[in-house]
Amino acid sequence: MIEIKDVNYSYSDVNALNNINIRIEKGEAVALMGPNGSGKSTLLKLINGIISPDSGVYKFNHEEITHKKLQDNKFTKLLHQKIGFVFQNSDTQLFCSNVYDEIAFGPRQMGMNEADVEKRVNDCLDLLGIQQFRDRTPYHLSGGEKRKVALACVLSLNPEVIVLDEPMNGLDPRTQRWLVEFLVKFNKAGKTLITSTHNLELVHEISSRAILFDETHTIAADTTTEKLLENIELLKKVNLVDPNVNYKNHNSHLEV
Amino acid sequence: MDNYREEHSDMPEWLLKDENYKLQSDRDTFVNKSILSLLQVISRIKTQDSAKIKKYKVNVPLKLAFTFLLLIMLSVSRSFIFVIIINVYLLLMLSMMEAEQIIKILKVSLGMAFFTFVIMLPAVFWGNSFSGIMITTKAFATITAVGIVSHTTKWSSITSALKRFFVPDMFILVLDITIKYIVMLGDFTLNMLYALKLRSVGKNRDKYASLSGIAGTMFIKSKEMAEDMYAAMECRGFTGEYHVYGKLKHTLVDYIYILINIGIILMFFYFGRK
Repeated sequence: MIEIKDVNYSYSDVNALNNINIRIEKGEAVALMGPNGSGKSTLLKLINGIISPDSGVYKFNHEEITHKKLQDNKFTKLLHQKIGFVFQNSDTQLFCSNVYDEIAFGPRQMGMNEADVEKRVNDCLDLLGIQQFRDRTPYHLSGGEKRKVALACVLSLNPEVIVLDEPMNGLDPRTQRWLVEFLVKFNKAGKTLITSTHNLELVHEISSRAILFDETHTIAADTTTEKLLENIELLKKVNLVDPNVNYKNHNSHLEV
Repeated sequence: MDNYREEHSDMPEWLLKDENYKLQSDRDTFVNKSILSLLQVISRIKTQDSAKIKKYKVNVPLKLAFTFLLLIMLSVSRSFIFVIIINVYLLLMLSMMEAEQIIKILKVSLGMAFFTFVIMLPAVFWGNSFSGIMITTKAFATITAVGIVSHTTKWSSITSALKRFFVPDMFILVLDITIKYIVMLGDFTLNMLYALKLRSVGKNRDKYASLSGIAGTMFIKSKEMAEDMYAAMECRGFTGEYHVYGKLKHTLVDYIYILINIGIILMFFYFGRK
C-alpha cells in the first residue's frame, strides 16, 4: 500500500530524512518512534503528500507520488481522501464555527446529499462520544475533546489510512486510554494506522510494528513493537529512555 | 494486534467499506498560493540564524548608521558621478555575497528601478531625461543598499543595534516580540492551511467561510498567546525596562568599513561642492 524507497528530504540545508526505506501493507498498525527532530513528522508529511521527496520514490497504492503530481489538484484531492492526517495540535485542524460543520466539512465536499452528510456526522459523533458537543464552537473545547473532534473530521472522509502525529500528547490518562481503545478498534475494522509517538507505555497497544528513527534521520530498527521495547539498549542509544535508569521488561511493558 | 476486519465491529457500516468517491473538482489556487507565500516568509526569517548570515562580520550598529547616512546622501546628492560611484560600490559589495542572495537582491532592486523609470517616463518625453535617469539610478542604489543590509544582518541584531541609537526600550521590545510571533503565528497558520488543504477533498462551496474560520482562530490564538506572555512577564518580574546587552567590539573589518564610508562622505562633499 505504502512504499518508500531510498527517500531523502531536507529543509534548506538541514537534513530531515536520510535514505529511508519502508513498506507498509494495508491493515497494518505501525508506530514511528524516535527522539525529537529525528524526522518522524517529516515522514508523516511526506506520506500525506504535503511534501515530496528530494530523491527516492514514494508510492501509494502502486502509484508514484511525485512533486509534479502533487501540483495537480485533482490528484491531491483523491490522495487526501485516502489518507487522513490528525495533527499534533488539534487547534490547527479546526476552523469551522461548530463541531457539526467541522465534521460535515469533508462529506459535503465529497458531494453527498445533506441527509447522508447528517447520518455520517451523527455516526462520527456517536462513535467518538461527542454528540453533546455538536453545536459547540470547537476552539472552546478541552484538549481531549478537540482531539476527538479532529479525529471525527478525518474519519468522516472514510480514509484507507489514518496518520496520527503524537496523538497522546497533552491528553489526560483517561482520554489516552479511550484513544488507544478506539485506535485498536479502528485498525481491527481493516484500516491502516500510522502513528508517530514517544509514548512507550502505550505504543505496544496501538501498533504491531515499530519503526525507530535515530538522530541521524535514518531508520535504526524496523521490527515488531514488542521486540523493539525489549531492546532497552537501543532505546537508550536513540534517547527514547532515560540512560540513568535501570529498566526491567515485563509482558512487553516498560517498567522501572 | 490482529489485522483483520472483525465481523461484529461497532463501527458504522460506511467506515467498514472502501469509499467509492467520485472527485468533485474545484479550484484551490488561493490556499496553495497562501501556503507558498507563508512558507517563503517563515523560511526567510528562519534562515536568519543560518551560517550564511553569520559570516558577515561588520558591526551591526555601524552598518545601520552608515547605511542610513548613505541613503540620506544619495537622496540629497545632485551629482550623477557620486550616484554612479555609489552604485559601483554597492555592486562590488553585492558581488562578494552568495549567488542566491545576489539574485534575490537584484530582483527587487531592478524591479523597483524599472517601476521608477516607468513613472519618470513623462519627464523623459518632455525633455528632462537627466532627472529620469538620475532618480532611477538613485532608486536602484537605495533598494540595493537596504537589500544588502537586510540579507546580511539578523533581525534580532538590528533591534539590538537600535538601542545604541537611543530608540526607546518599549519600541525595541515590541519589535522583538513582533518578529518572534510572525514565526510562531506563521507556523500555526501554515499548519491550518495544510489542514484545510488535506481536508479539501472535493468542491468547497463556501471557501470564504473556511478562510474566515482560519482568520478567526488565528485571532483567538494570538490573543491567548498575548495574555500568556503578559502573565509570564509579570511572573518574571518585568517592570517595563528592556535591556539589550552586547559589547561594542570593533574588528579590522569594521575599521576598513569605517574608512570606506569616510571616503564616501568625503566624495559626497567633493562632488557636491558646485
